[in-house]
Amino acid sequence: MGALPTPVPTAAPEPVLGYIDESKKRVPMEGGVLRRRLVGEPGTLNAVLQSGLPEQQVLQYLSRNLLDFDSRLNLVPGLAERYQVSADGREVRLTIRSDALWEDGSPVTARDAAFTIHRIVDPAVASPVFKPVFEGLVSVEALDDRSLVAKFREPYAYHAMAFVLPLLPEKRYSGKNFARARENRAPLSDGPYRLVSWKPQDAIILERNPRYFGPPGHFDRVQFRILPESSVAYRALVAGDLDETQIDESLKERATRDPDFNRCCRVVEFYNLDYNYIAVNNRSPFFSDARVRRAVTMLLDRPAIVRNLFRGSARIISGPWAPDSPGYDASVRPLPFDPAGAARLLAEAGWRDSNGDGTLDRAGKEFDFELLVSAGSNVGRQIDEMLAAELARVGVKARVRPLEWASFIERIDAGDFEAASLAWSASDPNPDPFPYWHSSQWPPRGLNSGFYRNPEADRIMEEARRQMTEDERIRIYHRLHAIFRDDAPAVFVTNASAKYAFRRQIGGLVTSPIGFTGIWPGPVGWWGTKAAP
Amino acid sequence: MTRYIARRLLLAVPTLAGIVVLVFLLLHLAPGSPVSAMGGESGRRVSGRAAQEMRRLYGLDRPLTERFVKWVGRVARFDLGESFVDRRPVSERLREALPYTLELNGLALLLTLAIAIPLGVEAGGHPESAFDRISGAALFALYSTPSFWAALLLQTLFSVKWKWLPLYGVASDPAPSGLAGLADRLAHLILPVACLTYGSLAFYARLVRAGVAEARTADYVLAARARGLSRREALWKHAFRNALLPLITLLGLVLPGLLSGSVIIERIFAWPGLGRLYFDSILSRDYPVVLALSLVGAVATLAVTLAADVAYAVADPRVRDGTGP
Repeated sequence: MGALPTPVPTAAPEPVLGYIDESKKRVPMEGGVLRRRLVGEPGTLNAVLQSGLPEQQVLQYLSRNLLDFDSRLNLVPGLAERYQVSADGREVRLTIRSDALWEDGSPVTARDAAFTIHRIVDPAVASPVFKPVFEGLVSVEALDDRSLVAKFREPYAYHAMAFVLPLLPEKRYSGKNFARARENRAPLSDGPYRLVSWKPQDAIILERNPRYFGPPGHFDRVQFRILPESSVAYRALVAGDLDETQIDESLKERATRDPDFNRCCRVVEFYNLDYNYIAVNNRSPFFSDARVRRAVTMLLDRPAIVRNLFRGSARIISGPWAPDSPGYDASVRPLPFDPAGAARLLAEAGWRDSNGDGTLDRAGKEFDFELLVSAGSNVGRQIDEMLAAELARVGVKARVRPLEWASFIERIDAGDFEAASLAWSASDPNPDPFPYWHSSQWPPRGLNSGFYRNPEADRIMEEARRQMTEDERIRIYHRLHAIFRDDAPAVFVTNASAKYAFRRQIGGLVTSPIGFTGIWPGPVGWWGTKAAP
Repeated sequence: MTRYIARRLLLAVPTLAGIVVLVFLLLHLAPGSPVSAMGGESGRRVSGRAAQEMRRLYGLDRPLTERFVKWVGRVARFDLGESFVDRRPVSERLREALPYTLELNGLALLLTLAIAIPLGVEAGGHPESAFDRISGAALFALYSTPSFWAALLLQTLFSVKWKWLPLYGVASDPAPSGLAGLADRLAHLILPVACLTYGSLAFYARLVRAGVAEARTADYVLAARARGLSRREALWKHAFRNALLPLITLLGLVLPGLLSGSVIIERIFAWPGLGRLYFDSILSRDYPVVLALSLVGAVATLAVTLAADVAYAVADPRVRDGTGP
């Protein structure tokens, strides 16, 4: 029997991944039920205490923010009809709409806003989402029912983004234990929908809030089903039990080949600001030399990752931003995949196989390290395996080690690792790299887990934070981007597309670089074209 | 007899204490913490200062011994504490999930017995017959089929393709009332119960088969046949009784498992039971919930073991005199 030729993959057409905006289309139908999926049970519906995506997805319907991002990521009015940042960048003033009401008919006031922010900065309150943006707060005060003024210690270009902030009704919480209040599971709405029921581990049901000040949502009810398994969510979608779910690369592959799927559903794919990268410990003897870090980047075959792992729907990045972030400078070309060049850089940095055991060494230390990855991340593991294979070819031993999430992230946050595969997820368009790459933010104080330090980069990051003119700030970031590429404080990999599957009867989708959930109106603007079967 | 029970009870106390200490230590010494696990993979990373504040809120900045003593003190007052994740009393979260798990596992156990016992008696009554061989092979095939795979396959066939049964959940929304509501609940039970049942059939059926096959040729069964009992009567009334004793012992061991739930099946069918609660609580390092569930499981196991010991003692005087096997 003769050997069959290996099938050559035909070049798939480059996917068109422009932003989708169906909001201008005519709404074919009002009413019906939208059936959405949550991957896990929300721990709370107290907006201040929220910590993860399921909570944010539900709260988006129940709590308007003072300000919002639109789909182009501009700050637009929400509960606040206008805002003003002082010239020195230290003070933000907001004016709340006069017609904004809580579900019980009482007005939403600046005192509610001040109460909310006081709770966030209270050391006795766990508010992982909002604590970081209010860390430099000096004072916040309600001048009257509608005016709020917040003062910060330092000038900062992005203080206004902190007010993409949902509010809590002060009167409902006064005299109660904040963390244990009944309201945390039965929130008072000031948004387009209100809570009907919450069955633990099962479903959360919302209906229209008649007291809402803005245009009502198109659906009468929104039903969230708590469905932990993605493969079951896919079946539920095809069976007509669910209207949308996020999908991964493998479910997208399956969807494109599944005629049952294509009859009833569509894949929606777009680029967001998320990216994959491999963090390295810049203090470790292996990675303290920028030549070594560049060499590692040049050993990762990123074109092959785009081609094989993401089937073309990913873009190689050369710095700590996705290409659609204002910080990203498209003229900073990524380092090439160049094993020979990488081997030369390693030799220049003093790594040679002096004892002939097949592994590079320097000053008696073998180049042998652990490459951590979260056990749940298939993409991360495949990227690690590819890198480890190329490293092995030049004599560097990388041992891929999957860890369960909580233990994994604990080691990352503590800076207790040599190298680790990570995914950056952007929940807002703030491109400020300071909290993650400035040398004042080393663990345990901050989130620069890779212990990166470059005095010039430090200076530029500080300068950008104080620069209140946007064009100037972008120019500063672009200068920084070139430094990041050459210094390679981490191996920046790719910006892959976000993927969702929708029943075809759902319309009005508007995508954005931060997905559906972080923007207004986001999913609240969706509609149905026919009643669910 | 009373002394025997008292002795057994006293022995159960150090066992329980050992389990509790071990679980407490394993849990708190394992890497990761409620702060690092917060929000899961979609959680926001928080800076060192904020993380420090949260550790203080959860009492994680206190020494391990102090935390342990506090926890034991609360448990002694029947207070299981409050969940780190949603700050509700742990007992409330347990009470919510318990009926769902009991319903699912209880029905699965009943169905398993209803199928496995007749199969086992029939096969044991005619060892090496065609029925015995075929049922044995079929049961082992089922036994070796992974439940997550079978669950997804059954969902694809019965819920997606043919649309006969609901895909997941405990009831439709809105749930119909009256008889239709009961039918709706039952329809939601069929697939998960089937998945929990098929794998354990082999276990019980082969156990019954072995007992019946052994007793089949025993004198008392032959005597029964000689008295004119039909073959079927002799098998069920006499041979099966012989197989019943090990079965009851086994059931005693299995009963506490009714509480533990099945993580895989509960996740696939989005069943709001204890298995999922346990699993999610471990991932989020919700120490009070994990400890409470472990404690409940340990107490149930010890209680059933104690009951079995007492039952043996009642049946066999040598056990309670301490002279027996």
